[in-house]
Amino acid sequence: MTLDWSIVWDNRWLLLQGALLTIVLTVATMAVAIPGGILLAVMRMSSSRLLSSLSACYVELFRNIPLILIVYWAFYVLPLMPLGITLDAFTTGLVALCLNVSAYNSETFRAGLNSIRKGQVEAAVALGMTRSQALRRVILPQAWRRVLPVLASTWVSLFKDTSLVSVIAVGELAHTAMQIRSQSFRVLEMLTAMAVIYWMLGYPQAKLVDWIHRKFGVKE
Amino acid sequence: MEFDFAPVLESWRFLLSGLWVTLLLSVICAACSLVLGAAVGLGRIYGPRPVRAVLTFYIDSMRAIPVLVVLVWIYFAVPILSGVTFDPFWAAVLALTIHLAAYAAEILRAGIESIRPGQVRAALALGMSRPQIIRRILLPQAVVRMLPAFGSLLSLTIKDTAIATVIAVPELMRRAEAVAASSFRGAEVFTVVMLIYFLILFPVTRLVDMAYKRYAHLGRS
Amino acid sequence: MSAPVPPRTGAASAPVVVYENVRKSFGTFTALNGVSFQVNKGEVVCLIGPSGSGKSTLLRCTNALEKHDGGRILFEGVPLPADEKSLHGVRRRMGMVFQSFELFPHMTALENVCEGPVTVLGMSKADAITRATALLKKVGLADKALNYPANLSGGQQQRVAIARALAMQPDMMLFDEPTSALDPETVGEVLNVMKQLAEEGMTMVVVTHEMAFARRVANWVVVFEAGAVIEQGPPTQIFDAPLVSRTKDFLSHLGWEG
Repeated sequence: MTLDWSIVWDNRWLLLQGALLTIVLTVATMAVAIPGGILLAVMRMSSSRLLSSLSACYVELFRNIPLILIVYWAFYVLPLMPLGITLDAFTTGLVALCLNVSAYNSETFRAGLNSIRKGQVEAAVALGMTRSQALRRVILPQAWRRVLPVLASTWVSLFKDTSLVSVIAVGELAHTAMQIRSQSFRVLEMLTAMAVIYWMLGYPQAKLVDWIHRKFGVKE
Repeated sequence: MEFDFAPVLESWRFLLSGLWVTLLLSVICAACSLVLGAAVGLGRIYGPRPVRAVLTFYIDSMRAIPVLVVLVWIYFAVPILSGVTFDPFWAAVLALTIHLAAYAAEILRAGIESIRPGQVRAALALGMSRPQIIRRILLPQAVVRMLPAFGSLLSLTIKDTAIATVIAVPELMRRAEAVAASSFRGAEVFTVVMLIYFLILFPVTRLVDMAYKRYAHLGRS
Repeated sequence: MSAPVPPRTGAASAPVVVYENVRKSFGTFTALNGVSFQVNKGEVVCLIGPSGSGKSTLLRCTNALEKHDGGRILFEGVPLPADEKSLHGVRRRMGMVFQSFELFPHMTALENVCEGPVTVLGMSKADAITRATALLKKVGLADKALNYPANLSGGQQQRVAIARALAMQPDMMLFDEPTSALDPETVGEVLNVMKQLAEEGMTMVVVTHEMAFARRVANWVVVFEAGAVIEQGPPTQIFDAPLVSRTKDFLSHLGWEG
């Protein structure tokens, strides 16, 4: 067995491009899925039965199917939608990731708000605060401490899950590395390089999440 | 836009046999990752310092690398290194177990560390030894506390088996792709398969939640 | 610094535990700054004093749940061993009751009481159940044997915890603020069990804020302040005619009128 690691160096710009696209996908998905999650959580907690059950159905559905299936599904179903435009692979992948992560984020926000004891609102109102003051000055700061660590964990999961959109040929890190592999036949080198690059990007993120949990996590 | 579910219905036997592979793969992976995860988790808390460092590195690495990457690496790269070729099914078992065991280990650790120190003190005051305390006091409570997390892990396991399609394990996802490719009815096929996955996963999460509500007091010290 | 120790009358027999100049610090905080006194066989010794004065720390050092870092603690004439294995042997001869009960939530009341004899002493299940049933009856909870802790009131949980400690047939009992976490209406049932134990001649060291109990049941009272013993003596001295003014301050702070 002869190994030729120069293949990795020769393709460094392609791999870098793939890694950048992985990061762009992660950031873009979160940028959509945080407002999306808040919207779903607010719908879920609204007094309208219709909005609340719509949100519940959406969240339960998308939390309970494999992401890779959502990716394929989006790939086949989105073109059938009367959108008037053809979506490229990147947008399709992004939509699939957003559908999934919004559902998770919605549960995170809902749990964060629900975790604040009712007595806290009562105490704030008893001090003469209005409802919105109580929300802004008492509820949100406490909920934030519960939401942030979970969002951070979701972030790392999302970073890894972006690799799944490679199956519809989005040119992120996994797809790029596997393309080079199949053109060069340097299987071991390219797959190892792919794993190492993911590790180098993901390991600090995992450690950062631990730190956020330690710093902001609420101990009961 | 017209939908035609006939191709899906015609291949129901083919899809059903894929579902069995999915379930079999899920059960084997869940069992293996629980056993390996328990060993790793206990070593991570109680092992000597070098063991702890190695296990922490393993766990954090698995949190950093996508399961897809572990899967293709084990299936394509390990045979080149070792000369041993895997059946895709067992490559998937190995990869998913290595990946999920890290999560199981972290769940176990969180469960044990969440038990307040008074419980250990009470057991020590009775004259119990470390191994006795772990076996009889900490683990039984931790298992109850970990139920919701293990429920999530089980559902994650079932979802992750779908990724095994990339190394051509003939599970449900793979079969769905095959039917979609031969019938040109991807939208219909994947919609139906989505419902099948949902119908398996939703009860799993619900049942575990119900079991936890029933037994939560056994873990509440 | 502390008042002279008056001669010990009454049940003054062989010492069970002797504290000699015991010291303990957590980082820069000195929890115990040279504590000396002794506990004789059959005596009830109450440790009183403000929160954070070192009473609970000393109690935890007694069965080495905390390791003291200076001085000596002698149990039946022998210093506490350093190795964990011999400590198990010492701990099983001292029963301990905690402020927060610490019953094992995954076991019924009966199983909690059986746990020590079966796991530590290697007693047969049947014998342990016989012993545990008798002890639950003694603390007035025969009918709650099959309840899980979650279905018991605080006072009931604490009485099970006392039974659990007694099941080891210890030479002495350590009580760490056993009624501080209880609702006022259940404090009495726990104190009654403790009083009954005292009358049976059990050697007891009790950290408590229940001054009426200390006054009535204790043979000897030790007053702590800032990690040191400021006064010790029979309850009549401590509660009716303290020699040290800070003892008087502490008691009047609690509303004790003598």
